[in-house]
Amino acid sequence: MERAVDSPSGATAARPWRRACYQCDLLLTRALAPEGTKLLCPRCGAALHTHFPHSILYTAIYSFTGLLLFLPAATLPLLHFSFYVFDADNTLFNGVASLFGEGYIWLATLVLFCSVLAPLGKFLLLSFICWGCGWGKLARPVASALRWYQHLYKWGMLDVYLLGILVALVKMTDLGSISVEPGLYCFSAMMLMATATAISFDPEAVWSRLASAEGQRVAGTSGEPDL
Amino acid sequence: MSGATGLEHNVWTCLSCHFLLPAATRAPARCPRCGARVHPRIEASLMFTWALTLTGALLLIPANVLPVMTVVYLGAGEPNTIISGVMQLHQAGYWGIAIIVFVASVVVPLMKLVGLALLCLTVQWQLPIAPAQAMRIYRVVNAIGRWSLLDLFMISILVALVQMGEAAEVQAEPGSTAFATVVVVTMIASRCFDPRLLWDSYSAIAAKAAEGPA
Ligand SMILES: [Zn+2]
Ligand SMILES: [Zn+2]
Repeated sequence: MERAVDSPSGATAARPWRRACYQCDLLLTRALAPEGTKLLCPRCGAALHTHFPHSILYTAIYSFTGLLLFLPAATLPLLHFSFYVFDADNTLFNGVASLFGEGYIWLATLVLFCSVLAPLGKFLLLSFICWGCGWGKLARPVASALRWYQHLYKWGMLDVYLLGILVALVKMTDLGSISVEPGLYCFSAMMLMATATAISFDPEAVWSRLASAEGQRVAGTSGEPDL
Repeated sequence: MSGATGLEHNVWTCLSCHFLLPAATRAPARCPRCGARVHPRIEASLMFTWALTLTGALLLIPANVLPVMTVVYLGAGEPNTIISGVMQLHQAGYWGIAIIVFVASVVVPLMKLVGLALLCLTVQWQLPIAPAQAMRIYRVVNAIGRWSLLDLFMISILVALVQMGEAAEVQAEPGSTAFATVVVVTMIASRCFDPRLLWDSYSAIAAKAAEGPA
């Protein structure tokens, strides 16, 4: 990606301040990056806006695929362990259930939240945001969905969980025979979708789509969303 | 002179949607675009970051001293701490995985706590650290925190996979709860810290230096 850097030359009436860097509070006269580029803060280097082409369409596809993958990833076993006559499966939920059964409620809740609830919530919120931002009527729910997405953002840890599976796989090879199950492929694909949404999603695209939908609603024409 | 900041020009930034809004007479203002509460700087940022960092530092002791899990194998087994788990991986010859686990569960929490304390001190004592350096610390601290949960995810997977009674069994131990709390507390701490304070304190130093000789 190319870099579009704004120079902090003073604002005039014709070029008012459009944005302040959220990490160093430097005022800029430019708010958005041109398509396919990044707007970086000239003082601290924070990425202020990344203009991903067709952001809403791609994010909708990725998050919907992620939702579809969630079903097999959460229900099918991820790993299979056999030890003489014994064997057991690992799914996303039964690890949490065992921890809960042993009385580690706080730990079980945290694992459940970071590996299931937050990623699922992110997919659901993104799907809703991408679908809802074409309707001016949904401006308020979409705005709060965006805020919830920001809060959940760091707590979805599918990538960390996948590395945890890898470590468990290595650790158990000496004890018995451990094998990879179909659920793990779905889980890996779901993790890739989560990463893809993080790259493609651009909240500014949602805000401008919402603003134009709102404008159409006020003008009286029916706003059909085009993704 | 480091450029005009929003604070000097009476405009605030919504941290939720990055909308620029005129300063209100009283904080918090409501963001007209997304409805979030907006403060010119994160409220009581230093106090919360300090409190959470110190909590994390205290909890790091039980997290490392107490065992995090027990692996019972053919009737025998002893509780493992984080460090002894890494040592076992190393002795078994899996040094690559041993390094990953060591970095994720020992180096990262320590680095986070030291980094957060350093950032707070930089603002509080106006240490002459270049903001570019401090920002690097801030961004590293923000990016690495989540990877510490690796060990806990691994425990939850093993607990489900290995439950064959006397033959082979993995159980969680109290140290894991302490460790989970360390990770959560430090993640919240790095969210509470406002990096704009670093630049404020740096321009305050610059202003002092400019009027010093006069
Ligand atoms: Zn900046
Ligand atoms: Zn806002």
